[in-house]
Amino acid sequence: MMVELVPSLLRQELTRLAQEGERLDGRNQWEGRDISLETNCLYNAEGSAKVTIGGTIVYAGVKFEIRTPWPDRPTQGSLMCGAELRPVAHVKYEPGPPSPQSIELGRVVDRGIRESGCIDMDDLCIVPGEKVWGVMIDIHVLSDQGNIFDACGLAAIAALRTATVPAERFDVGEDYRLKVNGTPIMASFTRVGGRYIYDPSEEEELGGEERIHITLGDEGHVHSLQKGLKGVFTPAEFAEIFEVAQQRCNELRKLVAEKEGN
Amino acid sequence: MGGYGDVQLLREDGKRLDGRAVDEMRPVSIEVGVLPSAQGSAMITHGLNVAVAAVYGPMEAHPRKIQRQDRAVIDVRYNMAPFSTSDRIRPGFNRRSQEISKVTAEALESVVLVELFPRSKIRVEIEILAAEAGTRCAGITAATAALADAGIPMRDLMIGVASGKIEDTVVLDLDKAEDNYGQADLPAGILPNTGEIAFLQMDGDLSPDEFNLAMDYNFKAAKEIHDIMVDALKQKQSRGDA
Repeated sequence: MMVELVPSLLRQELTRLAQEGERLDGRNQWEGRDISLETNCLYNAEGSAKVTIGGTIVYAGVKFEIRTPWPDRPTQGSLMCGAELRPVAHVKYEPGPPSPQSIELGRVVDRGIRESGCIDMDDLCIVPGEKVWGVMIDIHVLSDQGNIFDACGLAAIAALRTATVPAERFDVGEDYRLKVNGTPIMASFTRVGGRYIYDPSEEEELGGEERIHITLGDEGHVHSLQKGLKGVFTPAEFAEIFEVAQQRCNELRKLVAEKEGN
Repeated sequence: MGGYGDVQLLREDGKRLDGRAVDEMRPVSIEVGVLPSAQGSAMITHGLNVAVAAVYGPMEAHPRKIQRQDRAVIDVRYNMAPFSTSDRIRPGFNRRSQEISKVTAEALESVVLVELFPRSKIRVEIEILAAEAGTRCAGITAATAALADAGIPMRDLMIGVASGKIEDTVVLDLDKAEDNYGQADLPAGILPNTGEIAFLQMDGDLSPDEFNLAMDYNFKAAKEIHDIMVDALKQKQSRGDA
């Protein structure tokens, strides 16, 4: 990846704004940008979603395959979630094998969904010991204007919740809607100008420091955490963003419920 | 080409399975300026295909060994998203996408006024989100629209379009069944205003007469798609967000 230069002017301006309780784009500290969510928008995917957060655009698609279960878990299928940060998304992304950044992104989203238990791996069994479903969520970032983590998390769970198991195409019965017990949602925070803000923009990520990603389940339980980049924080700071995350995640969970319809 | 003769692709009334006439293309829509991160971008829906293109540059060409002293180089990446086909595609480059990227780059280098940008590089990223036969053509059209959206000067708007042969009949714009079971596929990158061809591939079996008819169909469709693209570009200008 290209080394990004952080102009000290940007840092100074972000610090000044932080002291006055303001942000570059006029939002307040815990305010997110406009979000839009579209589901079932990709013809060949068994479940799909497009998420737009400000100028960030992400697609997620779900595909199924039939595989042999692991010998020690003969009735359990599998779930895999991967993200690609391809050069289409920003001038800073260069071609080549998956970067550590895209691997981190995919794994953080994967953990949130997996650990929430929203997919019961036993539901993915077709013939015990012989055939189980492998569910694959692929996330494609098309435009990175900040906070791709939340966009990817939202797209992944929305695509999963609208997925149809293509049993007919694989000759193992009739198609049916994938059973998903819950809607884990991610909320991300970045330290900018000394204090945390929700939903960082591209400039805020560029001139900011460490970031924290929190994935919460339906009951408000935390299912995945990740602290990234250089920087430290205190338990008091975490307690504050954890509370904000609860509210934001509840709002987004309603949005998913609205859009998954059919 | 599969070329299995036992699949019926033409109905008794001479129409194709999806109801199109032999010289009728699938519906096409184009939108430009869809990706805020890119200098120029476009999304095309061609039948059930969805292709997105982003343009970055002109920028300094590095590593230096790829630089050309007298012109820009165009760096194209054609990539199919893992969920774009009925069987998932493993992420990453494969032989097919590398070949398509290479010939698409060479076609674009013959249309873009590359001599205006010596020692620079123009990056063109083509992402296929849904594939249903004809993705390389949709990708070429999307790339052209994205280059125009980025304000990069070109001799003409290159349009990607294909004709082919099913049941010994030349038809315009093969869909998936026709591509799988047909006898020939002739994708081309057409410059409708200059009347030139900058991209050409073919596989299957065509007589000289069939080739000429297929090429006539391609030119006819390219003019139609050209007009749709010009409308899309004008629309963005009139929205005032250029």
